[in-house]
Parts: sequence; structure tokens; C-alpha cells
Amino acid sequence: MASATLYSVSDGLASALLHALGSVLPGPARAAVTNPNVIVGLAVLIFAVILLAASMLNTILLIWWERKLLGRFMDRRGAMHVGFAGLLQNFADGLKLFRKNTFQPQEADPLGFYTGPCAYMVTSLIIFGVLPISSGWNAGTLPLTLLLALAIFSFAPLFIFVSAWSSNNKYSLMGGMRSAAQMIAYEVPILLAVVAVILVAGSFNLTTIVYEQQNYWFWGPLVVALIVFVAGMLAEMERIPFDLPEAEAELVEGWNTEYGGMLFAFFMLADYLRALVGSILVVLLFLGGWTMPTWVPGALTSFPLAGIFWFMVKTYTVFGLFVWVRASLPRVRTDQLLRVGWNRMIPLSLLSIFLAAVLVTVKCLPLLGCVPGVGS
Amino acid sequence: MASPITAKEKPSENPILFVARPMATAARQFAKSLIRPATIVYPYERLEDPTFRDRVAVASGRPIGVGHVWDNYRGVHALNIATCISCNLCAFSCPDLCIEMVTVPGGDPKHPKKCPEIDYGKCSYCGFCSDACPEGCLTMTTRYELSVARRAEMVYSPEKLYDVFRTKLPMNPIRVERPANEDAILLDPPLCIGCNACSRDCPTQCITMLDIPKPAAKPGEKQTKRIWKEPVINDSDCVRCGTCISVCPKECLFWGTRK
Ligand code: SF4
Ligand code: SF4
Repeated sequence: MASATLYSVSDGLASALLHALGSVLPGPARAAVTNPNVIVGLAVLIFAVILLAASMLNTILLIWWERKLLGRFMDRRGAMHVGFAGLLQNFADGLKLFRKNTFQPQEADPLGFYTGPCAYMVTSLIIFGVLPISSGWNAGTLPLTLLLALAIFSFAPLFIFVSAWSSNNKYSLMGGMRSAAQMIAYEVPILLAVVAVILVAGSFNLTTIVYEQQNYWFWGPLVVALIVFVAGMLAEMERIPFDLPEAEAELVEGWNTEYGGMLFAFFMLADYLRALVGSILVVLLFLGGWTMPTWVPGALTSFPLAGIFWFMVKTYTVFGLFVWVRASLPRVRTDQLLRVGWNRMIPLSLLSIFLAAVLVTVKCLPLLGCVPGVGS
Repeated sequence: MASPITAKEKPSENPILFVARPMATAARQFAKSLIRPATIVYPYERLEDPTFRDRVAVASGRPIGVGHVWDNYRGVHALNIATCISCNLCAFSCPDLCIEMVTVPGGDPKHPKKCPEIDYGKCSYCGFCSDACPEGCLTMTTRYELSVARRAEMVYSPEKLYDVFRTKLPMNPIRVERPANEDAILLDPPLCIGCNACSRDCPTQCITMLDIPKPAAKPGEKQTKRIWKEPVINDSDCVRCGTCISVCPKECLFWGTRK
């Protein structure tokens, strides 16, 4: 698998394309077209397009998955008419939103009003560049991918706040403030929980973290960190039970009240992109990424693209857990939310760091199995 | 002793249970609806389709829509034009004013036959009209598919309602047994001029005009040659529709209790 990375595939595609194009062109044009720099440029473009298409496709599938699961939780069927089992329903919905008029409220600030949703969407998309889906699927093995991903992930409150403020509606502004407060409150425990993983894995590199989990997945020894991380992610994604900024049942969409049509679709998509990123991060940090335990028969883990397959299975299962939580728990109040964030989550995450430190020092915990190769 | 309203102290809940219990409930619900969600996939499955009902009852052990749930459904009305007496009671009782009495063939020119025409754009399916109908000719059926392309098609003429009647859909069998009406139509004799309007318009023909002695002439006036008549109402035939009251030009008929 390591030989055929996503970039090498797109590089090969680009050079084949350009050489085929060059062979039918006259001399000077041929030289210009087959210039290595041009090939690299096209390869990056193809790479980006594949990444974009894959992430969008998965996001839309995720929405479908949520609708179906939620339907069953509520004794109904979810989308079922467009396409097989309603698979195309979200495309139809997207098309409908795309064709709708976009209104700009009176005296809204056009700069913030239009860049807010776009930046929210784009920052959510950029994260996919650094998330390794399998051994060959990432933009580059930077040493600090985890930090980069989390840093980009935490841009969101800023853009939510910008779009809420610039839509010239006091309720949107209030919603934006609540949303930003919530996200910032839960950023801290998330980062602290991630520190526990970093301690045990001894690396900031997501790929390394995954390979560190080849013998055992981190969710067992780091279960406290997992709980904090999942709860924090629920708040970051603004999902029930932490969806107060846009309490669907009570508010008119909270901070994105003034948005309609495609801009609204951007917010919706970006929300699910972030949900996808959250599920992927849980899989990468705690569930062994694309690796499978050794007791799984080899035939199940060695077919082509098995890594991506298992990764997706895990991701959708984790998201299914989020949906399960959404279907069961009531929404919390703002004070409860912040109290849980600052009073419970942060001590818990500190505890998880302590446990991780013990794990690294002792190197061998009974019950959990020994930890080989911890540290460097 | 009135005590001030205070917030009840809830027994403090274990936070783990607070999360775990609803999650378990949701999981149970999920497992149950994996076999068959309760939702009926309407255009493909129909509640009124007995084979579908049987299938669901067999498959899930949960019978749906049988007995009282479905059979007193209030859908489109069925009107038996032949037995309608044009009493107007349905139109009177309709809270949404969606019934208009329109002329249908079959009456005599002086006393045209009028039957209800129902505007389903306004109807709230309360069923008051069919409860009020003294002849039982206006009932509600189980038909519920009413979508039409134009608004005018929502108005069902008596003929159309008669067509519904002829399809022999299951009718709503539950009819309120109306209590014996103590009220009766009473006459204020000195005001009556004997014009015959009430007797002419009574849908049940229960008013007979009887001769009465002429009133004594006022001093200085000549005794009139006219024959004086006065309505006498047969209470057992009267359906209490009130038509006579509304047609009386002198407002001498009124509701009251007969001594
Ligand atoms: S069902 Fe109710 S609303 Fe409809 S026509 Fe009869 S009385 Fe009027
Ligand atoms: S209440 Fe019945 S009998 Fe009277 S007019 Fe209406 S449908 Fe006819």
C-alpha cells in the first residue's frame, strides 16, 4: 500500500495526461506542456479535486447515514424515495438549496456576510488534507499533523462569530456568541485529552500515532481521554445534547438565521464536514486508524483498499454513536454546558494525562497488556 | 391550607444513569424498529387495505388501525340525495360555514329541493353536520384522498357527494344518539297573519294551517271576510330545523317549551 499513495496516483495521472496532450501538440507547446513544474501543478490540482470529491461525498453519505439511523431510532424509515434507499435524497436537497435565492439582510456587512460561511466551509475542508485515511492517503507526513488539524479545527468559532455579527441581527449575534463560548470552552478539554494520546504515542504525527496502535488500540488504556474527547467533539460539532446555539426545536437556526440558499447549505455541509472530521479523529487517535487487530483473518485485511474500507467502517460506526447520543439525550442548558465543560471535563482530561503519564512511566499495566515501544 | 408553590426537589439522579438510561431506551427502540418501523409507507401501503393490515399484524404482532381506530374515521361525506329533506340543519351546524344549500332536481318549482354542497377547502371534518342530520342521509366515510389540481374542485356538489354515497365506502357508524328535544316551535298568536309561509317551507310537512275564529272587529271597522288560519305543528314529525322561524315574515314563531 505504501507504494501507491494518493499523490503518486495523481502525479502519474497528471504526467500521463500532459504527455498525451503534448504528443499531439507542435514542438514549443509540447515542451511547455510537459514541463515538470506544470506536471506537478496539475498533479496537485488532481490531488485536491480527488480529496474534495471524496470528502464531500463522504459528508453527504454521512448525512444520509444520520437520517437513516435517526429514522430507526424514531420508529420511522428516514429518506427512502430518491435513489436506492434514499441515497440520492441529499443530492436532491443540495440541488434545491443551490437553486434558491440568497438574500442579504438590510445593512448586513457583505464582506463578513459572504466570507463567513465560505471560510467556515473552507477551513473545514482543509483539515482533510492532513488527515491520513490510510497509509497512502494524505497530503504529506508533516511531523505536526495532529496539531495542525486541531488548529484549523478551532478556527470555526471565529468565522461563526463573523457571520453572525455581520448579518445585522441581534439574535444571530447572540447565537454566535453562545456558539463561540461553547466551542472555546470545549477546545481546552479536547486539547488536554489529545495530550494524553500524544504522551502515549510519543508523536504529533497522526500516521505515527496510528502505527503506534498496531498492537493495541488506545481506547482501552486511555478510556478517560476518549470520553472527554467524544464529549468535547459533540460540543464542538454542536450536536445534541450540546446543540444550544442552534436548538432546532426552539430557535430559527440560531446564529445562521439570516442565511438561506447556498450559504445555508455551506453551513450545513461544514457542520457535517466537522462531524466527519470529529469521527475521523476519534478513529485515528483511539481506534487504531486503518489498522486492524491481528486476530482478524488476513483475508479481511489484505484486499486492495482494505485500509480505507476499515477506516470508513470505523468512522461511520463512531458517527453512529454520535447519532445514538443525539437520539437519546435531551439538550442541556447553557449553564450546565459551561459547568460541565470547565468543572468536569477539564479535571477529567487532567486525570487522563496523569494516567497516560503513569502508563508511559510504568510501561506495563496489568490487564491492559504491556506497552511496547512507548516513548521513542 | 394553601401552601406557596415551590419548586419540587427532585431526587438527585446518578449522572451515569442519567445518560445510560435514555441511551438504553433508544437502543431498544432501534432494535425494535430494525424489524419494522411503525411508520406506514403511505402511498405503497394503505391502512384501509385489509391484506396490509393482516400482514403487519402477523409480522410484528402489533395490529394497526383495526376496530375503533379506523372505522370511525371522519373523511369525505356521503350524501343520500333521495332521503335528504332539505332541512338545512347540516348547514346550520357547520362551524366553518362550508356547507351551502344548492338546488338539485327533484323538487317542485314552488318548493325546490336543496341539498348540501360542501367546500372541503374549509371543512374541518368535525362531523357536526352528520350528527345534526335528522334523516341520517349525510354521513362521513373513510375516504381521505382529496388532493386536486384546482381550488374549485374542492367544492363537492350534492351529486358528487351522492357518488361517494354510491361507492359504498365504509361509513362512520357512530352517530350521536340525539336526546329528545324538549324545545318546540311555539306561536305568538296575536302576531300571526296566517300567511302559510311556514307550512309551505317545512321540509317535513308537519305544519297544518287550521281555521280559527275571526278576531272581533275593532269598533268602527268592518268585519273582514278573510278566513283566518293559524299553524299547528306536529311535534313528533318536526325535526327542529327552524326553517319556519326563518321564513316567518312577522317573527311570530319562536323556540320554547310546550306546556
Ligand atoms: S364536517 Fe364539520 S366542518 Fe365539515 S361540513 Fe360537516 S359540519 Fe361543516
Ligand atoms: S341535515 Fe340532512 S336532511 Fe337536512 S338538509 Fe342536510 S343532508 Fe339534508
